[in-house]
Amino acid sequence: MFADRSFRAVGKPLPRNEDQRLITGRGRFSDDFSLPGQVWAAMVRSPHPHARIIGIDFAEAMALPGVLGVYTGADGLRDRLRPIPHNPVPSTKYDVKLTGRNGTAVFIGPHHLLPHDKARHVGEAVAMVVAETLEQAQTAAEHVAVDYEVLAWVADTSQAAEPDAPKVWDELPDNILVDSTFGDIAATDAAFAEAAHVVSMKSHIGRVTGVPLEPRAALGSYDGETGRYTLYAGSGGAVRQKHELAYVLGEEPDRVRVLSFDVGGNFGTRNRAYVEFGLVLWASRKLGRPVKFRAERSECFLTDYQGRDLVTEVSLAIDKNGRFLAMRASNLSNVGARCVSLSPLSKGSGLITGSYDIPVATLRSRAVFSNTMPTQAYRSSGRPEVTFAIERLVDKAARELGFDRLELRRRNLVQPAQMPYTNAVDSMYDSGEYELNMDRALRLADWEGFAQRRAEARSRGKLLGLGFANYVESSIGSPKERADLIVHRDGFEVVIGTQPAGQGHETSFAQVTADLLGVPFESVKITLGDTDVVSAGGGTHSGRSMRHASAVIALGVEDLIAKGKALMAHLVGTPPTMIRFEDGVFSAIDTNQALTWLELAQQAEREDLPPELRGGLRVRRDNEMHAPVFPNGTCICEIEIDPETGGVDIKRYTTVDDVGRCINPLIVHGQTHGGIAQGVGQALWESFTLDPSSGQPLAGSFMDYGMPRFDNLPSFKTQIVEVLSPTNPFGVKAGGEGGTTPAPAVIMSAIEDALSEFGPPTIDMPATPAKIWSAIHERPRTKSLSDTVR
Amino acid sequence: MKHIDLKVNGVPISRDVDDETLLAVFLREHLGLTGTHVGCDTTQCGCCVVHLNGTSVKSCTVLAVQAEGGDVTTIEGLARDGVLHPVQEAFHQCHALQCGFCTPGMIMAAVDLIETHPEPLTEAIVREEMEGNLCRCTGYHNIVKAILSAAQVMKPAKTASE
Amino acid sequence: MAMYPVHYNRPVDLEEALRLFTERDDATYLSGGHTLLPTLKQRLAHPSDLIDLSVLAELRGIRLDDKIISIGTTTVHADVAASPIVRQWIPALSGLAGSIGDRHVRHRGTIGGSVANNDPAADYPSAVLGLGATVVTDRRRIAADAYFVSLFETALEQGEIITRIEFPIPDQAGYAKFRSPASRYAVAAVFVSKSGSKVRVAVTGAGAAGVFRAHAIEEALELDFRADAVALGQIDRAALLGDLNGTPEYRANLIAVLVRRALGHLGEARSYK
Repeated sequence: MFADRSFRAVGKPLPRNEDQRLITGRGRFSDDFSLPGQVWAAMVRSPHPHARIIGIDFAEAMALPGVLGVYTGADGLRDRLRPIPHNPVPSTKYDVKLTGRNGTAVFIGPHHLLPHDKARHVGEAVAMVVAETLEQAQTAAEHVAVDYEVLAWVADTSQAAEPDAPKVWDELPDNILVDSTFGDIAATDAAFAEAAHVVSMKSHIGRVTGVPLEPRAALGSYDGETGRYTLYAGSGGAVRQKHELAYVLGEEPDRVRVLSFDVGGNFGTRNRAYVEFGLVLWASRKLGRPVKFRAERSECFLTDYQGRDLVTEVSLAIDKNGRFLAMRASNLSNVGARCVSLSPLSKGSGLITGSYDIPVATLRSRAVFSNTMPTQAYRSSGRPEVTFAIERLVDKAARELGFDRLELRRRNLVQPAQMPYTNAVDSMYDSGEYELNMDRALRLADWEGFAQRRAEARSRGKLLGLGFANYVESSIGSPKERADLIVHRDGFEVVIGTQPAGQGHETSFAQVTADLLGVPFESVKITLGDTDVVSAGGGTHSGRSMRHASAVIALGVEDLIAKGKALMAHLVGTPPTMIRFEDGVFSAIDTNQALTWLELAQQAEREDLPPELRGGLRVRRDNEMHAPVFPNGTCICEIEIDPETGGVDIKRYTTVDDVGRCINPLIVHGQTHGGIAQGVGQALWESFTLDPSSGQPLAGSFMDYGMPRFDNLPSFKTQIVEVLSPTNPFGVKAGGEGGTTPAPAVIMSAIEDALSEFGPPTIDMPATPAKIWSAIHERPRTKSLSDTVR
Repeated sequence: MKHIDLKVNGVPISRDVDDETLLAVFLREHLGLTGTHVGCDTTQCGCCVVHLNGTSVKSCTVLAVQAEGGDVTTIEGLARDGVLHPVQEAFHQCHALQCGFCTPGMIMAAVDLIETHPEPLTEAIVREEMEGNLCRCTGYHNIVKAILSAAQVMKPAKTASE
Repeated sequence: MAMYPVHYNRPVDLEEALRLFTERDDATYLSGGHTLLPTLKQRLAHPSDLIDLSVLAELRGIRLDDKIISIGTTTVHADVAASPIVRQWIPALSGLAGSIGDRHVRHRGTIGGSVANNDPAADYPSAVLGLGATVVTDRRRIAADAYFVSLFETALEQGEIITRIEFPIPDQAGYAKFRSPASRYAVAAVFVSKSGSKVRVAVTGAGAAGVFRAHAIEEALELDFRADAVALGQIDRAALLGDLNGTPEYRANLIAVLVRRALGHLGEARSYK
């Protein structure tokens, strides 16, 4: 639609509208809200990974000062609270369709606000204490005595999939909730049988947690007179959570108002409702007072929805010339104690062949329950895992078969002429220039100059490694979006149902709107987050927002222009066909009568208009789009290893990212930077693991959970490429997650390259200094370190 | 319960507080200055950084009573008469914030760094000196740029060229 | 978490501080608060009273007295790092202070708080032990070698207050540390000093029982004060910590590497990554 149009605001690196309040301390985050008479909630959490709840004795707690109530799962059942309708099985038109064994429905494990039967992971809330102050609530929670019958538990992903593993849910014969197979088995087997070479690899991409810096918080209140609930809580989609929480409470959706204003990071962790959101609403009704919950950072580590945790076995069949013939993959996703989202498994499943033209494949996708915190989408849900699998496998093939790793890739890339390209698991890539991405990245990263840099590092006793990874990823997301476009006397407003947590929607959406309306960028305001104003919308996840917003706004502007023309025609007394709209001005052809939007909006308030033109200059537009888009790119990094300590220093990090049309490069580069940090974090520092003997989490705070920081990351070289997508009016793909997608692969590729003379090393992520040192010094090797390093 | 008198953003404040009240909680919940944020419980994230008696401190690890008689500056007190501080302006121009949660502490930390560091700032120095502030959104790249840019404005003679 | 209620006390002098300690049920001294307050916020302790020593001017400050640098217990890390006296005479110590935590922590955290707490991965204990300092309290003088007992355990009696720490100026000293990417505490760190023919090598972050002197390394360096004299065999793995940050073997290796590097950058404190 807009392929050839030139824009004034779209495409410009405009600094953001949302900054003013955020840099002066006037943001409105969840914990910033308070209501008169509010009281505090604290959770009693299970110390056991798996235990039956025999009884809960809270007499002592109730007697403590300030305590107003203690609530359990039994109370919830009595009040007929329903489980949270997470709706975890991806079901939009192009989502990979996951099923239980033999095509059966997926058993997801119901999510009551408080369980009545068992605690199924360490940290699961089994009771809520409400008291006048936070200190009183937390102290009383310490005095709630829960009688547990400790049960056998399982946390490890592969172990949980064993037939005799302790069962998390009695409703299933084991812990396998999803077992689906895709692709052409016969053709895959035939290709493997004939192939000159087969290369295989098994990896466990471990569990991490999102760590948005704002701990989750919720303030719930109930108005006895109106019968309405109000919830202040940052989320990934206020509209969705309104409907979910209304369902939990057994209320009509219009009884619940959710306010989600400034959100301190999401990355997927807030895309599903937390039990505390429902609990504070329920408690506020029972007590007749507003109830506030604020998670400690330790509670966030323990009970934020977590990310990744995939065991993947992949094999590639290759002919003697290095052409990829077929692929086999078996992916096992650890969903945790219950299933809140199968997005990682589903999204990853559609992309196992990556950027390469692999004609046939077979994929077995399984999901397993375990006694761990539930996992869900986390920055680039599912794609870093499968990108890691295919890219590391290609590196392995190059190494074992004697091909150059770049040449082997070039030989097999999907070519532009093949677009739109349907891969072997039925994902239709929309557009992309994969080999050009490679060429650009190689130039930007000064690939040719690496040998000299490696020699220089060696002269200082250091090992420099060069990592490479291509990626293609997908953006699907909720297919529906709604925008209200309103022309006020003094400016323009767009009400829309996305839910940013830093992506800059108040700016980029204003850019799109301003250009389409032909008005200054400064005159457009974007309204988000209050479900009494935002009536519908898909929230923000999966890179969907810019694509859906720009499309629905474009359609809405068309409607608004038509309405403007009709109004102008009425005012001037001519047919609407005689009205021209250009550059923000409506004019009657062959006259000098012209009105701007704002002038027209004033006229729209007149009482003497015919009924169909009354009600102000505004439209509501819904849109539904199902076609996924496929951002893609190339990533190169250089890592210097200190062989004496195993210490790691990232010297260079270069990316080329095809995001489709880039509405605001300042914002998109920022998204790439942040995405890189999260992907690198998983590769080098982050791991949420449990002690194998006790099931207790080993990382409960920033003392144990390593984070990307100022001093362990370099500045990046990021280049944006715009190969428009044919699937939506602006040609947008997505720019929010491409930084993360190739990062684990490229980091491990660089480390492997640095240690190639000892190699290949098998280092599991996170590649900590201790592990790297061990890979160098504690394994049988062909040369001694002192021979090779000065 | 103690009575404390102190200055916050130049305004004399007089309040009764529980002895165990943290300065961060005092600012947020007693004074309604919610710009200062709490992001962790192990004194590591830096979201709560304010200035106390002229230096940056993590307000989550200072008792309000320890600020008695002192001078506190929070993010709300940085802009003067509606004019943004050069660090605030640099953060805006350089896109050094996304969700904005770490931003108040980050800005206060940066102001302290630029004002007090004895040597001209370089990227390496900024990265080392800012390690007490976490950001999950930006990857730090633009924050480094913003701090170096603001340093140029605040101390033009003392900023090393990179 | 929200701290348990506690009573905050502001003594006018050292005597009152000591008196308050004996009078109250269960009092704890507060200095910079950057060890104590995180502990209280995690509800790992529940004292009835806090006695704030940081208000006592007599306990703060840095003095040079005839080849001894005396640092008051409530002197913050940033002041030690910036002190012209310490920078001139024991730059490895000022560098160490400048490497503790982050800049905001250094504006509040104190040497007394750190040394009284004896966290097995803290920096100052290695300097105190590595320089043969004297911990001076309200009632006695304790030699470094007698001061550090075990993890979080020192020779201090109940209620005893460190007033200052006296560091003899060495001929040479250096500090080298390797930090955990997460906590930023030392996985291993070494403080090396030489005075006359005597060498001291104090190791923090790596010991299963806290900070310790690596005697075999000291002996080797006393014979030959060069990096080549340091050998892995001089380190007893059985005494070393094994955790997520590294095995005892890894830590033993780090100790050897860091001692060699400290010898290469005497007069400085360096963090390696």
